[in-house]
Amino acid sequence: MKGLRIGLTLRVVAVIVVLGLAVFPLYWMFVTALTSNADLFGQDARLIPDFSQFGVFVDALADGKATGWLLNSLTIAAGTTVLSIGLGIPLGYALSRFRFRGKAVMTIVLLFTQMLPEALMVVPLFALFRRFELLDSLTGLVLANSAFVLPIVALILKGAIDGIPNELDEAGRVDGARPFTVLTRINIPLIAPSIAASAVIAFFHAWNEYVFAVTFIFNPEIQPASVGIANFIGELGTPIQTVMAVAFMFTLPAVVFYLFVQRYVVAGMTAGAVKG
Amino acid sequence: MTVVEQQTRAPGSVSRRRRGRRRPSPQGSRWTPYLFLAPAALFILVFQAVPLAQEIFLSFTRTTLLNPTESTWVGLDNFVRIFGDEDFHRTLRTTVVYVIACVVGAVGAGLAVALLLNRSFRGRGWARALVTVPWAAPGIAVALIATWMLNPQYGIVNRFLDAIGLGVPGGAILDSPRYALPAILATTIWQLFPFTSVVLLSALQSVPKDLTEAAMVDGAGPWSAFRAVTWPVIRPTVGLLALLMTIWSLRRFELIWLMTKGGPVGATETLVIDLYSQAFDSKELGSAAAIGMVGVVISLIVIAGSRFVARAAEKEDTR
Repeated sequence: MKGLRIGLTLRVVAVIVVLGLAVFPLYWMFVTALTSNADLFGQDARLIPDFSQFGVFVDALADGKATGWLLNSLTIAAGTTVLSIGLGIPLGYALSRFRFRGKAVMTIVLLFTQMLPEALMVVPLFALFRRFELLDSLTGLVLANSAFVLPIVALILKGAIDGIPNELDEAGRVDGARPFTVLTRINIPLIAPSIAASAVIAFFHAWNEYVFAVTFIFNPEIQPASVGIANFIGELGTPIQTVMAVAFMFTLPAVVFYLFVQRYVVAGMTAGAVKG
Repeated sequence: MTVVEQQTRAPGSVSRRRRGRRRPSPQGSRWTPYLFLAPAALFILVFQAVPLAQEIFLSFTRTTLLNPTESTWVGLDNFVRIFGDEDFHRTLRTTVVYVIACVVGAVGAGLAVALLLNRSFRGRGWARALVTVPWAAPGIAVALIATWMLNPQYGIVNRFLDAIGLGVPGGAILDSPRYALPAILATTIWQLFPFTSVVLLSALQSVPKDLTEAAMVDGAGPWSAFRAVTWPVIRPTVGLLALLMTIWSLRRFELIWLMTKGGPVGATETLVIDLYSQAFDSKELGSAAAIGMVGVVISLIVIAGSRFVARAAEKEDTR
């Protein structure tokens, strides 16, 4: 009995340690944002947030620079979501419901592209965008990000459509519906949760993306938050509290959304998709 | 590549998928599937296939970033040069160490956490959700907070290490050839373990509980019960995760780039970091492309190898 109790205590301690490790860095980001200079550079570290410093969040937003970054990120992420879902649904549908020449090749291509590093593709895409005047434009980033997230989205949606009994499609066809109508009226409503999950994946893939953004965008006006925040690293001009406040506002939406859809995301990721 | 597809099927979806496959429904004309496929295929062709082909071409040329439209064909020169270069050997070694440590660390930590969270206790739902936080955090934010936590003067990590008497002299962990890679590895594994543990947690759901209990009643210790009952069930998932972690780690860029740029003196320079600095610092697009191809070939070898191992394991099981 005694051994059992010790084992139980150990397990509780272990769970608390693991959760502490998981959450601490983001907590620390929040605490650092809310720490006065005196505490920050003093002898002992302050371990709890000082809410009298909350103005740092307000100032960071009022300054306009960070707000602009976040809006640019929002635009890129929204565009990427719409484009990759718009292309991914018909692709997933074709892969799930039809038998055709080249299907195996297409599937292999979708899996293969996921091992290509962005850092490798950034050079040829740079050349391509220069020719079509897509450098220094949010459109260019939307296209590049969509190309990288589309395979994941398509494979998740294919898996979702696979899960719908074919009888439903047949019933629709008996009623005279054409394939496109079957897709929009029967399949899409049924895979709505998977569409939502892949939308979250696509959105935050673009929200977090850095390599393309830092290489393709020169105009600071249209720079997304990932680049703006990365530029803070090693830079000494901005107060660290402001840096952490901006970074926290950038991080929080991603974490909150993932918590809501994490079950779908993990299922989708393991169901034939690979994220980088 | 099919191994990825085969192994990655969520356990529950297998039967439904089979049903879908057994009854393919040729609807519309034979061109219908291509109509649905065409926009996405065209998109992937333009933004993935063509750029990749260009990159393969570049790897056989001398091309500088300053004048990227002018390439001189040099055959295998780039490959001969990088493989003769001591620095590249170091990059390869660093890459191998980084990838193996990521795989072992992320899968090991993930398995430990999954086993820990697999018991039912109050607040388990919360614990499962909170544990995924690192995975959800953007890489940029992770690099930023890690750099701040490792700050030589004010970083909490140094304050903590000093307090327990393990402080690094000078505290400059990311500037130390000895400690930079371990620090980057710790950050990477911190970000990856939620993914591996959530996936393994769902694999553990299909371990028969009464079988584990029966083994324990029969006098098996927790370790032998794990090996006899749990391990065979989760082994394919562990294999898949190891493959995923390998591929992801071979292409991971921003975390390393933002924390150390591959330094100090190349101590954290993986293939992808080397490729990026060749292209944008040295402006040598040809050697950059060649380094990239080495990475792609390594990924392909790993995938082929894992497929071989998976097949061998399957044969072992059916014997």
